[in-house]
Amino acid sequence: MIQELRIQIKKLIKDKTVDLVIGWEKGTLPLTATPLFMKTEEDVDRLIFDHTCRNNLTTFLTKDKRKLGKQYDKIGIIVKGCDGRSIVLYSVEKQIKRENVVIIGVPCNGIIEKKKVYQKIDKKEILEYKIEDEQLYLKGRDFEITLPFDEVLCDSCLSCSYPDALETDHFIGDAREKLDLPNEYSQVEEFEKKPSEERWELIKEEYSKCIRCYACRNVCPSCYCNVCFVDQNDPQWIGKTPEVTDSIIFHLIRNLHVAGRCVNCGACVSACPVDIDLLMMNKKVEKEIKERFNYTAGTDINEKPFTATFCENEKQDFIMS
Amino acid sequence: MVKIKKTELSGLINYLSEKYQVFAPVKDGKKTSFQKIKSADEIIDSIPNTNLSPKSIFFPQAEVLFKYDENGIKVPKKDEKPFAVWGMRNCDAKSVLMLNKVFGNAHQIPDNKMYNDPYWKQKYDSSLIFGLACNAPLSTCFCNWFDGGPFDEKGSDVFVIETDDHFIMNGISEKGKKFLKEYKKDDKSDIDKEKIESLKQKAESYLSEKVDISNIYDKLNKIWDEPIWEEISSKCINCGACTFVCSTCHCFDVSDEGKSGKGQRIRLWDSCMFPIFTNEASGHNPRGVSVQRVKQRVMHKYNYFMDNYNEHLCTGCGRCVLVCPVNLDIREILKKIIKV
Ligand code: SF4
Ligand code: SF4
Ligand code: SF4
Ligand code: SF4
Repeated sequence: MIQELRIQIKKLIKDKTVDLVIGWEKGTLPLTATPLFMKTEEDVDRLIFDHTCRNNLTTFLTKDKRKLGKQYDKIGIIVKGCDGRSIVLYSVEKQIKRENVVIIGVPCNGIIEKKKVYQKIDKKEILEYKIEDEQLYLKGRDFEITLPFDEVLCDSCLSCSYPDALETDHFIGDAREKLDLPNEYSQVEEFEKKPSEERWELIKEEYSKCIRCYACRNVCPSCYCNVCFVDQNDPQWIGKTPEVTDSIIFHLIRNLHVAGRCVNCGACVSACPVDIDLLMMNKKVEKEIKERFNYTAGTDINEKPFTATFCENEKQDFIMS
Repeated sequence: MVKIKKTELSGLINYLSEKYQVFAPVKDGKKTSFQKIKSADEIIDSIPNTNLSPKSIFFPQAEVLFKYDENGIKVPKKDEKPFAVWGMRNCDAKSVLMLNKVFGNAHQIPDNKMYNDPYWKQKYDSSLIFGLACNAPLSTCFCNWFDGGPFDEKGSDVFVIETDDHFIMNGISEKGKKFLKEYKKDDKSDIDKEKIESLKQKAESYLSEKVDISNIYDKLNKIWDEPIWEEISSKCINCGACTFVCSTCHCFDVSDEGKSGKGQRIRLWDSCMFPIFTNEASGHNPRGVSVQRVKQRVMHKYNYFMDNYNEHLCTGCGRCVLVCPVNLDIREILKKIIKV
């Protein structure tokens, strides 16, 4: 697969169809890939795609004052299913011109969540690893262990029904359509069953650990505001301390700002240095929007953003009651 | 030197607690950090390094400088008991020493006045730091690049070496020596020097090869306008994770919170990675885009701090390497720069 992908991208670069292609290369840590910006055919030799390609690279299209888009006329980008949804979202929200981006889809079979792996091995150091037959083999100074994939994949992958990008210019292999996942919202449903005091406690407990580094916001493809509400300081919009009240406000507002826009890529979860479960609340909002408005972010390039449409028969119980 | 059995640690912590508020590495939810402890049972091994650095003990993420209301200004009361910190690894002990150069050592400010940060000094000056030799450095550790090493005693008042069943404690500073003398009779006879040496050698063998960065300061002076900065910074997404977990980053912001007639002024950690880091009141920001902010981080650590305090503002603890969501590894940045 990787050879085919490299050939495809070399061709795009050679033909000058694109000025730059964003992909991944091997990182400096175990189980870690790092973004790769390819401008020459030689660069492409470093390209990889495997279960360690964690980053949602579409973030680079909107970050830093959309600098890349200004620097290059045509950018190629390699996408997994969730990343592909981000591109669709950008197009729907008019952040990119679809024709300026060449989308190269790759078949995704799940990404390894390093945090889960390190929990399993008690934060010991990994000196060697191998990924084979949906299993992860690890070796350290005083241990050796084989872990099945379902124990180490990202939660977002385990609840992902769009593993392959739907909107692409090139796809390596055969893209799968939407998968049917009966348990997609099982964690959310469990949360919903709890009494409200318990839910509130859970939210408080989780968000009280936040150190307000904003890694979650910065890796998030959907968080691309020129000035984020947390950076509004004249006057200051929200408290900036890591006190739980300030942090909860930050997170609940962010949950609402990415409502109907979160693509379930899980980048925020992997980025958080203090391991906060950021996915659950986003999934909860996603479920709510699906049920109320029959809308799933980034799945239809011809749709309007869900907040930009109105339909008379929408459920309005939260206003009426 | 004083040697105690590991089982005596709980006695030592109790002894310390009479005079001090004791901090130590603990498991704190899913993360690990330094927190106030009540008993030795809470202590965890600080190898691997705690997720969050111990800088917050002396330089909290949010610190109230004063409160105000219609009756005037109130500065928070000083902590009653001084701080003792158990289990700071050598790199972290060294980082506190660096921060003390900024906050604790009087330095000249305009108008020929000297400045000391009272909030820092009241915590740091009376503190007692138990540094811990690092028996098993990680592959992300690079303390050896900065004249440090797993058995480096700098910054510790008492330096502790952990053997299979014992802690061997050595007084480094006057404070540390005095404490040990009061705590237990010095007994050199029982110390296995060879064992210590072999632990040290084993620890050093875990570290990857030292990279010579002695020219980094000069290199940085020369490459201000070079395209290499674009290359270095291209993947950084400017989250503040690296700077918040860093044991030596110390930029802060001051924020007023309050309603009419009542409120407080707080000092908060800031980060050169944040978009409003140097945003000026006019709206102009000299570091408006990512490349300028990444440059600031590297320059501050390996050039400006050298100008001011004659050392690098980095201990090689590797925390930033571990948390970076795009694996922008500071070691790779340094290697690139020395080769320009
Ligand atoms: S909120 Fe998290 S999961 Fe959702 S799009 Fe942003 S980074 Fe991805
Ligand atoms: S990444 Fe984690 S610690 Fe940082 S702001 Fe987000 S939730 Fe908080
Ligand atoms: S820059 Fe990185 S390695 Fe250096 S002290 Fe800070 S966190 Fe540690
Ligand atoms: S953690 Fe990495 S991506 Fe985030 S600001 Fe630091 S270097 Fe940049």
